[in-house]
Amino acid sequence: MARYGMTIDTKRCVGCNACTVACKINNNLPNGIMWTRVLTEGGDAPDTPAGVFPNGKMRYVTLSCQHCENPACTKVCPVGATYKDPETGVVRQDYDKCIGCRMCMAACPYTGVRSFNWEEPAYALEYAVGDADAPEHQKHVVEKCTFCYQRTSQGKTPACMDLCPARARNWGDLDDPSSKVSELIASRSYQQLLADEGTRPSVYYLV
Amino acid sequence: MTTSNAPAKGGKALNIAIIVAAVLTVAGIALWAVQLTGGMVQTGMRNLDSWGLYITMFMFFVGLSAGGLIISSIPRAFGLEGIGGISKVAVWTSICATVVAIGFVVVDMGQPFRVWELFVYSNLSSPLMWDIIVLMTYLILSCVYLWATLRAEAGKVSQLALRVISVIALVCAVMVHTVTAWIFGLQASHELWHTALLGPWFVSSALVCGTALVIVVVIALRKVGYLELDQRHLVKLAKMLGAFCMVDLYFFGCDLLTAGFPGGTGAEVVEMLVFGPLAPFFWTEIVGTALAAAICFVPAARKNGMLVIASVLAIVAILCKRVQLLVGGFQIPNVDMPFAMTQYTVTNWQAGSMAAAYEGMVYWPTMLEVGVVVGIIALGALLLLVGIKKLPLKPAEK
Repeated sequence: MARYGMTIDTKRCVGCNACTVACKINNNLPNGIMWTRVLTEGGDAPDTPAGVFPNGKMRYVTLSCQHCENPACTKVCPVGATYKDPETGVVRQDYDKCIGCRMCMAACPYTGVRSFNWEEPAYALEYAVGDADAPEHQKHVVEKCTFCYQRTSQGKTPACMDLCPARARNWGDLDDPSSKVSELIASRSYQQLLADEGTRPSVYYLV
Repeated sequence: MTTSNAPAKGGKALNIAIIVAAVLTVAGIALWAVQLTGGMVQTGMRNLDSWGLYITMFMFFVGLSAGGLIISSIPRAFGLEGIGGISKVAVWTSICATVVAIGFVVVDMGQPFRVWELFVYSNLSSPLMWDIIVLMTYLILSCVYLWATLRAEAGKVSQLALRVISVIALVCAVMVHTVTAWIFGLQASHELWHTALLGPWFVSSALVCGTALVIVVVIALRKVGYLELDQRHLVKLAKMLGAFCMVDLYFFGCDLLTAGFPGGTGAEVVEMLVFGPLAPFFWTEIVGTALAAAICFVPAARKNGMLVIASVLAIVAILCKRVQLLVGGFQIPNVDMPFAMTQYTVTNWQAGSMAAAYEGMVYWPTMLEVGVVVGIIALGALLLLVGIKKLPLKPAEK
């Protein structure tokens, strides 16, 4: 039994979108789909600060599925196509089961982490890229970050963490006090997104 | 029993209406096929506003289905005087509205051919699953109730049995609206939806538009000579409509005050409704419901024409409420920090920024959605008209 989680060091994140690209490549995401995104906390547009020089203020928040301990999505799925993996605590998706009702998207408080394939998935390249056993994308089903289940189940780490040049991301077992993520959470101050929603996310933003 | 209970043959106009409804139904199904093959990207829905006109109309038609069943079952359940034998037509209206509501869920699904999974992999913790169960039960019960009413008139079913069925149907009707509300009301992620009042409020709104629909249908059927109805029954219906309107407004007032008074994020929701992009729907709802109540309460205004106007106002007002509730739920994003958007992010993604995409209504339907909606409503109209033509729904002579 484990509870996989991630820490994201907002003091290290430079908003380079390498994680966005790593996720897209490794999971062979269709055009227009992003499972993790870089949000700018600051001005009205991406990469713009709030305030006026020299008092500008800006921070990046990377956003993907929070793999909540108390997920709002799994409860409402009428067929159990989205479910919490009992072994790892990861919130997973069964594309073959999803009926495309988008109830999970309505229930999830984290705006836009779940995405629907609104048409037949199209790709920039003619061949599939990334992990060989990443599940094939389907039209009219909901999908999202799985903590790279195809990688982590083989002892690898999620693609976004691997490629992060600032080493802002760490991933591991939150139930294991000696894991890197547990140590970081114990030693650093952190925030959780929309903590008052009661979802108990497994993603911790180090501040 | 009597000749008046025989199926109505209907005139030429009825046949033409049936043909028109059938053609529109087929056109709607064709458009649905276009949506399925070309993808739901052809609708206005996107990731940040992932439900749209279909779910709005689903809510609306579940509400419309209330009136007939409740109006015909309440007097029977409590042993009161019925409303002039219109109960069969009223229940048939309910059945048609329920079929339409189910139709809207089906066209909203991305994978309608997996619908069987609902019965095989049922996740009983999902309010959507509860609603599917209750809606199916409701549809079957309405049919049983209609059948039992007909058999009772023929003396084959006892009045007691009919009364028992009417009580069960009444409870089920209340549950249908409550559970439909829970699809939204149990989502803590949308502040507008997350209120304990949503269940009772759905029941009151259902009574408003359901009663209004029955009034319109009954006046129309009386006009064409399909049935006779004493004016005092219509006055009774009108007074009920007025009362339901007041209850609905009262609930709305309570909810707005509770949300807005503490001043926090709830006040933003109230502001969005009252002054924001959804204000036209909000005010149409408030003014429409209030006017409908006024017409129903002033004896001098309770003329047939005015009652039709009041009913239409009430129905439009509740439709506005559904739009406001659904779109309003998506209008305030929980996480509104800017990021690079794609064609699937939000309806107005081309506006360039999150703020610009949410400036007006975050969602607006496409013509394809409107076409499918017309098709499904036509299916309901088709059922209604064929029922009037073929089924023995006329009031039995006392």
